[in-house]
Parts: sequence; C-alpha cells; structure tokens
Amino acid sequence: MSLLEIVAAGIAIAGGVIFVAGIVAILIALQRRPYGVEMAPIKGSPGRGVFWSFTLGMAPWAKASARLHWMAYLRGVILHLSIFAGAAYLIATPWLGVMPGPLRLSLTVLFAIGAVMGLAGFGIRLANPTMRLLSVPDDYFALALVTLFLASGAMSAYSVAYLPFFWVVAGITLAYAPFGKLKHFLYFFYARIFLGLVFGRKNVLE
Amino acid sequence: METITVEEQNKTALAREMMEKLVDRRVLTALEVCVRCGTCAESCHYYQSDPKTEHTPYYRAEQVRRVYRQFMDPVGQAFPGWFGAKPTTDEALSRLAEIAFSSCTLCHRCTFECPFGVETAEIMRVMRSVATACGYGPEMLVEIANAAIAKEENADLFRDIFLDQVKELEKEVQDKLGSSEARIPVNQKGARLLYVPLAGAHTIVPQAIIFNIARESWTLSMFDTANYAVFLGDITKAKRIAQRIIKEAEALEVQEVIITECGHGYTAMRWDAPKWFGHPLPFKVRNIIEVIDDYIRDGVLPVNPATNGEPVTYHDSCNLGRKGGLLEEPRRVLRAVVGDFREMTPNRLHSYCCGGGSGLVAVPEWKDIRMQAGKLKADQIRQTGAKTVVTSCDNCRFQIGELSQYYDLGVEVTSVSELTAKALV
Amino acid sequence: MAEEARQEIKADQKINLEGLLCPIPVVRVSQAVKNLAVGGILEATATDPGVLADIPAWARSTGNEVIAMNRDGKIITFFVKRLK
Repeated sequence: MSLLEIVAAGIAIAGGVIFVAGIVAILIALQRRPYGVEMAPIKGSPGRGVFWSFTLGMAPWAKASARLHWMAYLRGVILHLSIFAGAAYLIATPWLGVMPGPLRLSLTVLFAIGAVMGLAGFGIRLANPTMRLLSVPDDYFALALVTLFLASGAMSAYSVAYLPFFWVVAGITLAYAPFGKLKHFLYFFYARIFLGLVFGRKNVLE
Repeated sequence: METITVEEQNKTALAREMMEKLVDRRVLTALEVCVRCGTCAESCHYYQSDPKTEHTPYYRAEQVRRVYRQFMDPVGQAFPGWFGAKPTTDEALSRLAEIAFSSCTLCHRCTFECPFGVETAEIMRVMRSVATACGYGPEMLVEIANAAIAKEENADLFRDIFLDQVKELEKEVQDKLGSSEARIPVNQKGARLLYVPLAGAHTIVPQAIIFNIARESWTLSMFDTANYAVFLGDITKAKRIAQRIIKEAEALEVQEVIITECGHGYTAMRWDAPKWFGHPLPFKVRNIIEVIDDYIRDGVLPVNPATNGEPVTYHDSCNLGRKGGLLEEPRRVLRAVVGDFREMTPNRLHSYCCGGGSGLVAVPEWKDIRMQAGKLKADQIRQTGAKTVVTSCDNCRFQIGELSQYYDLGVEVTSVSELTAKALV
Repeated sequence: MAEEARQEIKADQKINLEGLLCPIPVVRVSQAVKNLAVGGILEATATDPGVLADIPAWARSTGNEVIAMNRDGKIITFFVKRLK
C-alpha cells in the first residue's frame, strides 16, 4: 500500500467510526424522547400496517404524488439505489483487485448514472421557487457530497488509481452524515414504522 | 438594535419548554426525516385550491422545524446558518400560531403522499400546543373549550334545561314514530349504551328513532361530544372535557359509549383519550355509524333505499375516516339506505379535507381562507352530480353547507343517521 | 318569559341564528357581544336547542350574562348583556 492509500484508508476508517458513533448518538437521543403508548383497543393490525408501510405504501402507483412528480421520483429511486450500492462497494473496495471486470464496469455505469442524478438534484432544487426558498446550505452540501461520492466511486471502479480519492470522499461523507440531512436515511425507517403502527391499528391502510 | 422584552423572553422560554415536552419520538422523526423534496405540495387542499409556497406542507413544517433547530437540536444551535435554525421572537411565534391554526387542518393527507411518510400534521399539532400555551390560541376556540368545562362545573344548573329539552325532543320522536311508547332515556343506570350527541337536535332525534326501532337498551348523555381543546392542543383541558363523559359512563355502568357523528369527538374518545389518561377506558367506544351498520347487518332496521332516491355522495371526515378508522362502515350503511350512491374521487384514505377541519369553522375571521381551501372539495362534489352530501362530522357539515352557498352547488348536507332514519319503513 | 317582559328589554343589536348548529351560534354570539359596548345587550333568535345550555355556559365562562331566554315552539330567543 502506498502512503497515499494508507492516508486515504485512514480517512475512510475515521469517517466510518464517526458515522457509527453519530448513528448511535442519534438512536440514543431518539430513544430518550417520550413515546406515547397506544392504549386504545386496536381495530386493525399494527404489524400488517408496518408491512404495508414498507411495501404497498411505498409503491409509486399508490401515490398521486409519485405519478405527478414521476421524474423526481425516478431520480430519487436511482440515486438512492446507487448510494446503497456505493456503500456496499465501499466495504468491498479492499478486494477491488479481485472484483470481476464486468461487475466493475456495471458499477461504474451505475455510479456514473447516480452521480448525474445527484447533479440533477441541484437543478431541481434551484428551479423550484419553494424548494429554493426552503433550502439551506446543508441541503446543497449534502447533495454535493453524495454526488462526489458516486462520481469518485465510478472513477475508482473504472480505475483503481482513483481508489484513494474515493476513500477520502467516502470518509468525509460518512463523517458528515450523522450531522446533516443525510441522517434522513435512518429516520426513514422510523417514519415508515410509526406510520404503519399508528394507521395499521386503525385499519385504514389499503 | 432590536429590544427583547421580559414578556417576550418568558414566552420564548415557555415555547421552548413546551416543545421539549411535546416532541416525542414520532414528532422528532417527522422533524428530522423531511428532505424538502417538494412532492407533497399537491397533496394539500390548500395548495390545490391556491398553489403558492405558503400552502405547501413542507413550507409549513419547515417553519416549525427551524424553531426546533434553535430550541432542541445541538447541531442546529452550533451552526444556525448552515442548518436553518431561526431565532424565535414573539412575532415569529405569533406567525407560527397563525400557520398552525389556519393553514393546516391536521388532515394527515400529505403523510400518505410523501415518500417518507412525514407526519406534518403531528408537527402542526405540537405547534398548536406550543402556541396555545404561549397565549396564541384562537380566542374563539378557547371560549368554546371553556364553555364545555363550565357546563360540567355547573351541571346541576344545566340539568333542568337539558331535561326540558329532552322532553320536547321525545315528543318529536313519538310523533315521528306514531307511538307514545318511544323514549329518550336519560340517566338510565345499567343501560347497555350511553349515546353522546352534539348540542343539536339532529344528533338526538334521528338516533333516538333508530334506537327505539332497534329496541336498544340506551341512555342519552347529558354532555356533548365536542372537545375543542383537542384543536387547541390543550391536553389538560381536553382531558377535563373527555372526563365528563367517562365519569357519566362509569356512574351509569354502561358497556359501551357511542359517539355521534362528530369527527374529532370520536377520534378523541376512541383513540386519544386512553393515551391521555394512560390506561384503556373501562367501556368500549364506538361510533353511531358502527351501531347502525350492525343493526342493518342483523336485519334489525327495516330500511328502504328508495326513500332516499336522489343521488348521494359521501365526504370522508378526516378525523372519522383517515384518522379514526371508519372508512367502510358509512359506505355500507349508505348503500343500504340510499338508492343512488356515488363516490367522490379520491376518497377514503386519500380523501381531501373539506377545508373546515380542526376548528377552522369556529373562527369567523378565517371564512375566506376556508372557502378558498374548500374549492377542491366543492369541485369534487359538483363532479359527482349528487344532490345530497353526507358527512359524519358537524364541522364538515357546516363547511360543506357554506361551500354549497359560496360555490352555488345547490346541495343539501346531512348525516348517515338522518338518512337512515328517513329510510326506515 | 312573558311577552311584555321581553319587550321591556331593549336590545342594542339583534342577530338571527336560526338554522345554525352548534358551535356556530356560540361563535356568532361571542362575535356580536364583542362589538357591543360594556353594558350593551344582544338579542338573538335560534332554532338549535343546544343553545339553551351552550349560551349560558359560554356566558359563565366569559363573564357575560344571559338576562333572559325564551322558547316559543322551535324558536329560542335570548338576551345577552356584555359585562366586561
């Protein structure tokens, strides 16, 4: 390993440590908040509600908003799929040398498309007057980070020479994630679970 | 330099304290999960009727979110400019109160259109509580909630008035049924059901007719189900108002409390009250529609749908439907008691609010806002071609009645119980 | 309340609440009373029997006074005096 690779790997690992510590801190803070236990007799099924929440409740055909904003919706789906793939890829990068060529090429394409979707996010955010008004520096910075994460991921999957660059970007992204809007990835699960529990027990989910 | 008065400091401190107390896991999640993607805009009836930034759910939630960042989020406090934390002044609180009370009916529709399920209504509910504690609750809502408490405090004084009123209504029921045996029982210990009406005769007479025909063991509550403290987010008062009925039900040893067609009143007693009191209620809580649904299923009520031959549509009250769990019951009853039932689109879980929910109908200054926000509902009603709109909530009923005049819809607004009573043969 | 007694009360303002259902009568009365001078009297007619209890309860909690209330068939007439 070259010195550059060692430093870059160190940044990535440090970022990972901050990420894990940050996530634990968020979970502790969340657990410390009160939670009003439902005491009313149930009418439906909270469990089925949670299942609905992560399946049919997320289906684009179930939401008029997804049909209306299909481009933004599709962009979001592609962006997030590539981010999840990017996270898995990050863990696998120490073995990049033995990764099959076709897989690396596929990842290059996926991450490149993801990065384009990230860039498109700037356009969408700036073009919509309400989104522009409500956006704060955190929104743009987080978007820049994930775009760069995917772009550097594409570059490193294409050529191992860019791997240190990817590790540095990944380290910074991971370190920042628990502080800014990127933490929504964690709250997402809570939001969907609460939705399923609350409305599932009332038997209103279709 | 801007001067901050002691009163202002105190209000801000109180707002912070209230927010600290009320932001639970569910609300914290709603505050943190939104990425401001904007896909919720069209899900809101305010935005649909007048598409502007202030009418998007994420704009409204974001205003509260920025206060939260200043009050409770250490990262927001450290880097306010970066994360959009905002200093909370008296003026800002007053504006937030205006947003929470007049620009959101807590209908929860946007939650189901959001890719994350952000519960903006829950954020607004907390904001209403904070605003009420700081003295920014709409005066009229406060007066109505206080009047409900005064009724209980002076129950002896109102008992005679109530009993006189019931006697008059009982005569009406007897005339309609052609039977001097028909009764509106009051204070019947051991009755199976305690029926809780609203103040109006339309929530007593048709139901009394139905109970009499079904030969139900029932008794009429002295109190009404309206609980305006819920709209204020004032749980202390909401509990006092709910407690009147709970005490009455316990004293009469009834098995079930049946709530009339009142959206918030039903949801408060069915779903919220057990949480407020920290234990399940010692009786079952159901809505009158569920009881009628059972009667029709069991063949206890002889109904003739031809009696209600004109086209009828149903408006889902957000509180009774999406938030209360009664989506199919009213439809089953209506299919049995009307000849031509037509659905609005969208309906059930995705039904739009009429624009009068969560206390808006009671604040006269907000009539223009209500009429504007209700435009979408007016259009939906017109599209069905219905002559009668049924709704199971008196707030919706008043709002749709006004929408009918304002948009010249020419519809009559009524309830499931009234149409059922009319269909009895 | 006898008709003569009712005629003795001189209202400063009259409002018609007939056909309106709770809580709108309370809302309209509150609004109208706020527009009166202290000591002023409001006369209102309503058809919702809920006002029989709701208006006195509202008056009690807001520190105003219902000085008379009469029911004639379906029509309920009442007088509210603004006390503060």
